[in-house]
Amino acid sequence: MRGDRIRLFVVLAVIVLAFIALLWPQRKPYSGIGRIFSNIHLGLDIKGGARIEYLVKVEEGVENPSDVVDDVWTVLRNRLDAAGYTEATLRKVFREDKSYIVVEIPEATDTVQAEKLIGSTGILYFAQVLDDTQEKDPMKDPALTSEARRYKAEWLKGRDGKWYLVRKEILGRKDLVLVSPKIVSAVPAVDTRPGRYGYKVNFELAKEYANVFKKITQALVVPETAAAPPNKRLAIVLDNIVQFAGYVISVIPDGRAEITGNFSLQEAKDLAAILRSGALPAKLVKVSAGWVAPLLGKDIIDASLKAGIWGLILVLIYMVAYYRIMGVVADLALLYNTFLLLGVLAAGRIILTLPGIAGIILTIGTTVDGNVIIYERIKEELRSGKPVKTAIAAGFDRSTVTIVDANVTTILAGLILYYFGTGTIRGFAITLIIGVLGSMFVNLVFSRLMLNTFAGLIKIPREAVERGSSR
Amino acid sequence: MKKQIDFVGKRRIFITLSLVLIILSLVSIFSKGFNLGVEFTGGSEIIIRIEDPNFTEAQVRKIVTPLGEEFTMARITRVKSLGDPPNISKFSIVVSKIYEAKEKGRVTEAINDALRKANVKGEIASFSETGGTAAEEIKRGTWTAIIVATIVILLYITIRFNFVFGVGAIVALIHDVMITLGFFSLSGYEINVPAVAALLTLIGYSLNDTIVVCDRIRENMKRYRGRSIESIVNQSINEVIVRTINTSLTTFMVVFMLFLFAGKVIKPFAFGMVIGTIVGTYSSLYIAAPIVIRWVKPR
Repeated sequence: MRGDRIRLFVVLAVIVLAFIALLWPQRKPYSGIGRIFSNIHLGLDIKGGARIEYLVKVEEGVENPSDVVDDVWTVLRNRLDAAGYTEATLRKVFREDKSYIVVEIPEATDTVQAEKLIGSTGILYFAQVLDDTQEKDPMKDPALTSEARRYKAEWLKGRDGKWYLVRKEILGRKDLVLVSPKIVSAVPAVDTRPGRYGYKVNFELAKEYANVFKKITQALVVPETAAAPPNKRLAIVLDNIVQFAGYVISVIPDGRAEITGNFSLQEAKDLAAILRSGALPAKLVKVSAGWVAPLLGKDIIDASLKAGIWGLILVLIYMVAYYRIMGVVADLALLYNTFLLLGVLAAGRIILTLPGIAGIILTIGTTVDGNVIIYERIKEELRSGKPVKTAIAAGFDRSTVTIVDANVTTILAGLILYYFGTGTIRGFAITLIIGVLGSMFVNLVFSRLMLNTFAGLIKIPREAVERGSSR
Repeated sequence: MKKQIDFVGKRRIFITLSLVLIILSLVSIFSKGFNLGVEFTGGSEIIIRIEDPNFTEAQVRKIVTPLGEEFTMARITRVKSLGDPPNISKFSIVVSKIYEAKEKGRVTEAINDALRKANVKGEIASFSETGGTAAEEIKRGTWTAIIVATIVILLYITIRFNFVFGVGAIVALIHDVMITLGFFSLSGYEINVPAVAALLTLIGYSLNDTIVVCDRIRENMKRYRGRSIESIVNQSINEVIVRTINTSLTTFMVVFMLFLFAGKVIKPFAFGMVIGTIVGTYSSLYIAAPIVIRWVKPR
């Protein structure tokens, strides 16, 4: 049958890819059967990870310091989730009237790598540019150093390699300071003005910062046609680096601004990312960096793994006992899906934790379930007297709708969990969705191929035989 | 024709049983509450430093367990910082209790005492109040997720089947989650992150089960036009019963083995799954289907 040949090809291609992902040599080799798992990334509960503790430096006079810590938490959580580390944990810690944040990251083998993932720990602010220099090093040039002292400003390196003399208090005024504003959104967009090309960045400040920003832009605005004085530029500073410096060409009353500068798409994307992620409301100071061991001891993991495997073996035996040759197919489908899922986990660098394993168990359930639905249908068809091959085809046709409907609802639930959840809930949703998709594929493609192959061995139920002979 | 079991005729008994279970669950949830894990409640983190690099978590557990009820469920993990000397080990002990200043002194004393008595050279390195690792994650967006999920699933089932089946599925789902939560509350099993995963898995499981039954009812309603809805529902349940039992039984085997033999942290997960499998199967047969009947049938 042509359909079977295509199925065979797809089934083989998929499992070969899964094994390539599992066995691709890139990490420390495990010996024996453990080799299968060496490419799977394991969560904190199973394998431990890097542990870094930060002191949250809340500025004095802030009304609600615990809100600031909450905001820091959210920013870091979003960064880790965006980097795919949904299984990293973040918690607030309080000690002697100070607030800390403890970050634990699975799969981070060294703390330097972990710190890179956490990203910038500095705060973002807007500042006035008073001067700049390309050639001289202002740290060594006495004229430039004294210039900085005179203006109560400081020389900072720019991303473009230039040095900028910047002052936080714009025009020296204490009310024109904009430090760590909440940035609601920042996205790259195409510059559509006539005669311009390239990209710009649109960003929006939270309402409470719009008024200060309006005053700042009023103070620094330079009409596009006028000569541009070098000391009227506005800079965006993050981690003591001038990320961008440019002129304000109009007063911005509502906090919605755009930065134009003939950026390339990559530059616009980078700048938008800086604006988005830089919104840490307080500076973080690293207190300690190190490692944390797995929460689940090796004995617990071993016992649980053994229990799980025994459970699986029971399932395999039961299926064969009940469905005979079709049970063998179901067992093969189950094993196939398990390796497929592990392969996807390895290829997608998805971190497996205990909740993730819960998702896999549901997958075992849905794989068996799909097969059972199909078999019961086939049995019905056989009882009505159809020959085996026709019964298989009819059984699949009629159970496809059932299987799709039953699984799509689960996938929908998973997608919603993924969209609204953070951290580990998100991780669980991912395993759940992958698992359900996998079991649907296995049920409708793999099992069909196998059943067609073994059709000759399927027994016709007694009722059908009796009816046939009495006719 | 095989003998049919009369599921539908006895629906009043089963609806009553479910109502009783739900009321019991609610009473327990509101009076006794849940035993929430430290990842949700937060608590205290005590880091102890021991002058022996080969000290183990189990040894630490043995020393601190007698110090108070909160220590029996403590999360104990080994930690290490850059710059620690090689001949020490450090352990983080997280308990779900927040201590007042006075108690803090008492606990510090007690731990130091216990270390001394056990002849272990060590001391408390830091004593902090900690938030839960999953507290924020559960707080944020959970309710929105639940409401949106309910609406989307209802919508999907309305499009694919009809509105009544959607209501049946959602009621069965709420029924399953409520009773499972009730069992968690009654048994005192800790609700930790894996337990929440079990509850989420249960959602998938319950929906799947209900839809398979509803799918058969939909098919039979087309095939046997004019027959009473009771008899159609009953026949449909009888037709899928083998599938329902086989599927539940196989899932049950895996989670029951886990429940019996897996480690302490996994127990709550396995417990939730064991209860969930039973309740989920029961509800798809006895709860979702009767709702369909009640609604469709002219009174």
